[in-house]
Amino acid sequence: MSVLARSVGNAFRNNIRTAAVVAVLAVAIGLALAMLVANQAVGAKVQELNASVGTTLTVNPAGGQGFEGGGEPLTTAEAETAASVANVTSVVGTKALRLQTATTGTTDSTTGSTQQGPGGGFGPGGQQATVSTNLTAAVDAGTLGNRNNASGTTGAQPARTLPITATGIGAEVDSTGKALEITSGTGLGDYTTSEAKALVGTSLAEKNNLTVGSTFTIQDKTFTVTGIFDAGTTFGNNAVYVTLPEAQALAETPDELSTMIVTVNSMENVDSTKTAVQEALGTDKADVTQGQRNLETAVSSLDSVKNISMIAFIAALATAGIIILLIMVMLVRERRREIGVLKAIGARNRTIGLQFVLESLVLVALGSVVGAVIASLASGGIASALISSNTSTTAAPTTQRGGGLAGAMPNGGGMPGGGQGGPFGGASQLLTSVTASVSPGVLAAGIAAVFAVAIIGALVPALLTARIRPIEVLRGE
Amino acid sequence: MIEVKDLVRQFKSGDRTIKPVNGVSFELEKGSLASIVGKSGSGKSTLLSLLGALDKPTSGDVVVDGVSLAGLPDGKLTEYRRRDIGFVFQQFNLIPNLSAVDNVMLPMEFAGVRKAARLKRAKELLEQVQLDPEKQSRRTNRLSGGEQQRVAIARALANEPKLILADEPTGNLDEQTGEHIIELLSSLSRDHNTTILVVTHDRSLARKTERCFRLQQGRLTEEVRTGSRR
Ligand SMILES: Nc1ncnc2c1ncn2[C@@H]1O[C@H](COP(=O)(O)OP(=O)(O)O)[C@@H](O)[C@H]1O
Ligand SMILES: [Mg+2]
Repeated sequence: MSVLARSVGNAFRNNIRTAAVVAVLAVAIGLALAMLVANQAVGAKVQELNASVGTTLTVNPAGGQGFEGGGEPLTTAEAETAASVANVTSVVGTKALRLQTATTGTTDSTTGSTQQGPGGGFGPGGQQATVSTNLTAAVDAGTLGNRNNASGTTGAQPARTLPITATGIGAEVDSTGKALEITSGTGLGDYTTSEAKALVGTSLAEKNNLTVGSTFTIQDKTFTVTGIFDAGTTFGNNAVYVTLPEAQALAETPDELSTMIVTVNSMENVDSTKTAVQEALGTDKADVTQGQRNLETAVSSLDSVKNISMIAFIAALATAGIIILLIMVMLVRERRREIGVLKAIGARNRTIGLQFVLESLVLVALGSVVGAVIASLASGGIASALISSNTSTTAAPTTQRGGGLAGAMPNGGGMPGGGQGGPFGGASQLLTSVTASVSPGVLAAGIAAVFAVAIIGALVPALLTARIRPIEVLRGE
Repeated sequence: MIEVKDLVRQFKSGDRTIKPVNGVSFELEKGSLASIVGKSGSGKSTLLSLLGALDKPTSGDVVVDGVSLAGLPDGKLTEYRRRDIGFVFQQFNLIPNLSAVDNVMLPMEFAGVRKAARLKRAKELLEQVQLDPEKQSRRTNRLSGGEQQRVAIARALANEPKLILADEPTGNLDEQTGEHIIELLSSLSRDHNTTILVVTHDRSLARKTERCFRLQQGRLTEEVRTGSRR
């Protein structure tokens, strides 16, 4: 018989009561663990979404985005204006080009001239200058491609390959402001000078047998591939990046920008900075948009789920602690005389206190085992209940807009520069990814917290035992 | 040696104060066997609890081997109870969900005796008090009153105390076992030089002790023996 053995024995002195106590503890502990798991899972998701939201604003010419609309192009001077707005950390200008594969005998390649605007034979392009290249697109035209290419033209057209997007960039970022992931080779070095160097997307490089050091031509000028990048999407990888001045030179529109990517110093400042940039540039000159509006609302509602689950975790944890406290106070009262006996035969106060703390830990251990089972069964349901009730309002429109993009962006998670569409295909996909991240580590941390709270809860009654006097031994029954 | 000096213990019950122990003084030589008799409610248990440091006197002092209990802090009193005192309670006060052996081992555990040694001694003691060997591992709440009494006596002997305080130790025993317990106690006082103070109603037990005190109205008087000892 040791203190521990006695504590275990005492925990089972009254089996029915032990079962009742363990059941109540298990519910509290199970709830606490489920909430912790939900909190961690949602937290991980929020982080992931936050990372993809970023802190960038996209500036387009007023009334025009990409192929559509009109208005005046953005200028380098406007980029400087935007850069001077408070909380703006950087402004990166881009110049979009449309590379059309040169086919022998077609007018556009033989003229060797830059074609601006509609009427070039390749659809609308107010923002994009169409230039020729010897590269072949990595994406087959398909139904969408043929429809797109046909839409801007009149009369019969021969079957064409798709155009390739070339973007002049003022820093090593893609057209949405995300850092480029270069898988081989290096970046372009100085993005502010005009040089015949280019970064090529993985699928485009593969299609044209390009590696680092290979050359190709744009508008009869030879470019050297310095690096291959992976944008993560088929569309994104069918692209070429050159330095901004180079693209401006190719398009013969120096000082003109297709878009500007404005990076804000923090998430909180994005909204106010957006307004400030819009005011600085003038509503008649530029449209300032934030990439993932829907995503942002999704993140804020997920954030509230995270907070709710954290509060619920703490509340359930405190409940477990209070249950232990009350149960142990009851047991100490009930065994007052027995504690007196132990003292009368020479037990130290700390021996008796330890015995009671250990006894409470036995109860908590049992409660934790049952609670962990409850949590693993319930956490999925709890997490989805929490999330669906909190995100249904934002998830619905997201699904609709995301659906429109699903065809063009194979993974349904593209980051279109225009700012339309959500990054996730509706609430169900979000849920799967949230509940999938239940980890034993989180459970272990939760159980450790439960034990810490239980020790605190048991310490009070354990200290009460020190005040019981050995003379209690003589109290009549 | 125990010296009891003008011991007083009073209780307040309502607006009345009662003094079951009211100025008790006596001395006991080391190794002596003494008894206290008195009517029910005369304060015998109260006196024993003061001697065993279970309770603190209203005034007066108990001096054991030159050490005054009145001057000891709680920690030292615990040590005194653990090391020097063997208490046999009137209501046994065993831990009900522990076995007989475990109960006897408890004081040794508190004293830091190693497990194998505690088990060996506990079994020996239970044999000495003539507990059925097969009942040694039985939970004490499943033992009869007499069996519990024997386990309680074995527990009191566990740490080889200097002073054994026994409150009605033969009250629940049949005559034959009672005789045996009395024999055991007197052999302890004779052979191990243990001081033993027994509270009893049992005239035959009282007659066998070297000295006999009577507690009456809070005062202790020694009965003058007529005839020879034992
Ligand atoms: N804690 C207490 N509070 C009040 N009265 C007490 C207390 N303990 C004992 N008494 C009273 O002291 C008297 C002596 O009790 P006790 O020592 O148990 O007598 P005995 O053991 O001789 O039968 C009784 O009247 C009892 O009611
Ligand atoms: Mg009594």
